[in-house]
Amino acid sequence: MSIQTVEVKAKVPSPSTNFWQTYRQSKLGIAGLVLLLVITVIAIFAPVLSPYDPKSSAGVGAGQVYNPPSAAHWLGTDDAGRDVFSNFMYGARVSLLVGFFASFISVGIGGTIGIVAGYYGGRVENILMRFTDTMLVIPDLPLIVVIVALTKPSLLNIIFVIGIFGWTTTARMVRSQTLAVKSRKFVLRARAIGAGRRHIIRHHILPLVMPILVVQAVLVVSVAVLNESTLSFLGLGDPTALSWGQMLNYAFARGAMSTGAWWALVAPGIGIIWVVLGLTLVGQGLEHVLNPRLDTHHLMPGRPVVVNHEASGESENPTEKNPLLEVRNLSINYINEGKPPARAVENISFTLKEGELIGLVGESGCGKTTLMLALLRLLPSAGQIVNGQVIFSGKDLTALNEQEINAVRWKDISIVFQGAMNALNPVRTVGDQIAEAIIKHMPGFPRDQRLQERVIELLDLVGIAADHKEHYPHQYSGGMRQRAMIAMALACNPQIIIADEPTTALDVMIQAQILELLDSLRKKLGLAIIFVTHDLGVVAEICDKVLVMYGGVTAEYADVDIIYNESRHPYTQELLKAFPDLTKPKKKLSSIPGYPPRLDALPIGCRFAPRCRLAFARCHTEQPLLQKLNDSQSAVHIASCHLLEVSK
Amino acid sequence: MGVRPPAQWSKSLNRWLYIRNKAGRSFFTILFVVVLNFFLFRVLPGDPARQGIRDPRLTQEAIEAIRVRFGLDKPVINCIQTVNPLRFGSCEVNPLETQFFIYVKNLTRGELGISFYYNRPVSDILGERLWNTVLLIGGGQILSIIVGVVFGVMAAWKARTSVDYGALITGLVAWSLPTFWLGIILLFWGSSHGFPIGGKATPGMSSYPFMTQFTDVLWHLVLPTLTYTIVFMGEYMLIMRSSLLDVLSEDYILTAKAKGLSTFQILKDHALKNGMLPLVTIIAINLGFTVGGVIQIESVFSWPGLGGALFEAVSRRDFPILQGGFLLIAISVILANFIADLLYSYLDPRVQIE
Repeated sequence: MSIQTVEVKAKVPSPSTNFWQTYRQSKLGIAGLVLLLVITVIAIFAPVLSPYDPKSSAGVGAGQVYNPPSAAHWLGTDDAGRDVFSNFMYGARVSLLVGFFASFISVGIGGTIGIVAGYYGGRVENILMRFTDTMLVIPDLPLIVVIVALTKPSLLNIIFVIGIFGWTTTARMVRSQTLAVKSRKFVLRARAIGAGRRHIIRHHILPLVMPILVVQAVLVVSVAVLNESTLSFLGLGDPTALSWGQMLNYAFARGAMSTGAWWALVAPGIGIIWVVLGLTLVGQGLEHVLNPRLDTHHLMPGRPVVVNHEASGESENPTEKNPLLEVRNLSINYINEGKPPARAVENISFTLKEGELIGLVGESGCGKTTLMLALLRLLPSAGQIVNGQVIFSGKDLTALNEQEINAVRWKDISIVFQGAMNALNPVRTVGDQIAEAIIKHMPGFPRDQRLQERVIELLDLVGIAADHKEHYPHQYSGGMRQRAMIAMALACNPQIIIADEPTTALDVMIQAQILELLDSLRKKLGLAIIFVTHDLGVVAEICDKVLVMYGGVTAEYADVDIIYNESRHPYTQELLKAFPDLTKPKKKLSSIPGYPPRLDALPIGCRFAPRCRLAFARCHTEQPLLQKLNDSQSAVHIASCHLLEVSK
Repeated sequence: MGVRPPAQWSKSLNRWLYIRNKAGRSFFTILFVVVLNFFLFRVLPGDPARQGIRDPRLTQEAIEAIRVRFGLDKPVINCIQTVNPLRFGSCEVNPLETQFFIYVKNLTRGELGISFYYNRPVSDILGERLWNTVLLIGGGQILSIIVGVVFGVMAAWKARTSVDYGALITGLVAWSLPTFWLGIILLFWGSSHGFPIGGKATPGMSSYPFMTQFTDVLWHLVLPTLTYTIVFMGEYMLIMRSSLLDVLSEDYILTAKAKGLSTFQILKDHALKNGMLPLVTIIAINLGFTVGGVIQIESVFSWPGLGGALFEAVSRRDFPILQGGFLLIAISVILANFIADLLYSYLDPRVQIE
């Protein structure tokens, strides 16, 4: 166990600094902290700071009832001629006291129940959670009102009653966290070496449940403060402790409304909002530390395409005549505020003819998906096309507006995404989601029985029985979902399908089925397909052309035969070595050591140089240009490597 | 294990099991509340009838008469004569002759006792008031959900823009408002702008035609409903925003975008229903909290509902109303929760029993 501690310490040098640095990023959290600090200081030093003694109306003569704010009384006087400002300061003491102690009780009970239920499981858990769920449904304020009405309304009673009814949410959250922690390796290890339950709970579970307890404590304080003020307002407060709720009760019941004494009503309310808002904001800050969430989503506006007139000229690469799709010198950056842009894709060109299948190959993180998303302008909001064109049937897709590109999406070019697990909407039937595409892009299509027949026909095309049409994605297997995705991609008879690693998450048998399906559909429907993969075996089987990408740039681009037999780029050669060859079963497989470069730390020279066994001095200082090779009968063969120039 | 039922069949079976499970839990919770309600009023020192008996002006005969009238001469339950102070009694008594079973028997007949203050059956008084509360909660809930969802969706869609920050801060402030205080402020403002200062109807309205009475009630509803809407919309907005932010970063939204759907279509057809799911749960869990807000609103605006009844009962020490009111509120919340669970199972096809 001491080893465990050392490991943790080595990874996180100082948790408190880390915590503070993350917390600081949340402006709301900082604002909350300031609000709370100020009110706490006011509460602690109320006897020193307050101009009058709140208990008596000493120094205030008769006829001083409901005096408006003045130099003597900054916030006026109340129904008994007392100084509202002083009362406000003392009120902070009661509110914070009740909030803090009640929260202490709630979190104590909730934490204990949650940990015990989560750790012991079985019947104990069942009984405790059933009890928690029962208490969760019972409305707490009416119950608290009834109990306080039946007992003496002393501060202690109020703290206690609020405390023992505010624990249910904490118990539920702590239980699920305990369940998660319980199955972690170090807990299992501690149990295996015979550590006692108490020891495990104290030393292994509690530290990891603590963050949740802290957030809950903060939120429960705010609920307790609200509950206390409500009880006092309803006339159930401790008559000896002047809280903000009590001030409001007096003002409301004793004519502040009719005399127009707004100050007696506004001041205590501001106090309650101050504390509750402060706590809620701190809760937001803590939440930011515990569950940092992505701050982007798919509907955020994309960055405008940088129009580059140079790119509209002739491409550096040889182009084929009348291609269906032509990508010219496409470059994509990811923009990070305060950092230089990350060059995710640079200067990529390729063409695609009707009925052709091009393979886009490379390791993960080489910009393949970024490139595919850019074709349909689906980049996340940080992504920006900074150069190049995507010509599809005479139109430059990068120059279209949102409406025009929407007309191209799916109608002409559709995408089958990687891992269809989440690519289908879980709360709509698969048939409905396929029909949606038809309705959107084929306005003339009859919306009656024929639409349903078309959906069935599409499902049949990918080998899914008609009765699965009404099923939801979670009722499909992984392979079926991927085939349903393909059926959906075919719905509007597109000319091009982009298949972004469609087989990655599937087992080998299903992979083969999906590949076969795509290939047969291509032949049957004359589709052009862009197939993104890191599996050269797939490429060998079905592709016509291959584009090998490395670190966002083109490594090599040629017909599939050339890639397999006459590849010139060291990266392609290494990839081939890593792939088993049936004709040479004895050959040793080798993997490429290292990883593709990080986008924020691209090498100055060739991006593959750090991993290349053939690299020489120039490779590390100068980026190689794309070169056209005329070595064979192939129409195109392009590669970027300094070795090629040397050999010339 | 037997033969696996067909998929279609197991789906409806699952739903049925889910509903049965939830119904069972609700029934169990109601039983718990019924028992709690009985003992709460006998364990805690402010026992309803004994409170009255302590009055020194009463003669011995009068005390005995009250004890008989409230059934206090009977044992609490088998083996226990009184709970506070705890005194054991005979276990041989007929269970039907104990206070607990008389209470349960009366409950099944809808009898909740006689109000000290009104000297009328509690069930009659609360029955009238239940509908007023439903009127208030119904309108307020619908409005706050609509406003919360619309602004929550706007904030999530326009994430990290001034629209989002504005909505976030508004939501957080609205969440922090004490309900009764907001009511007071609105009342303060409204009373000088021609709004009624409380109640459900202007006195003497009953002789007017129906439409006049109807608009009069609506007019009285404006400020209470507004208070309710402002307080609860904040929370619904925050939840909707957060839930929609999660949904909008899901892969299926990218699929929808790739399908060429417009932003509006994606929000309406792919994001809204998914994003609403957590909201339905929260609305259900929050019903208890909502009732707390209603007590405050009804107290401030003298709205003749259940919450107002509870508030008045506290100050009048009218314990039968307090006891009956709590029971009625708790059971309503439990039933509403059950309905929300059913709704959820129809919204989310993935729902299964745990």
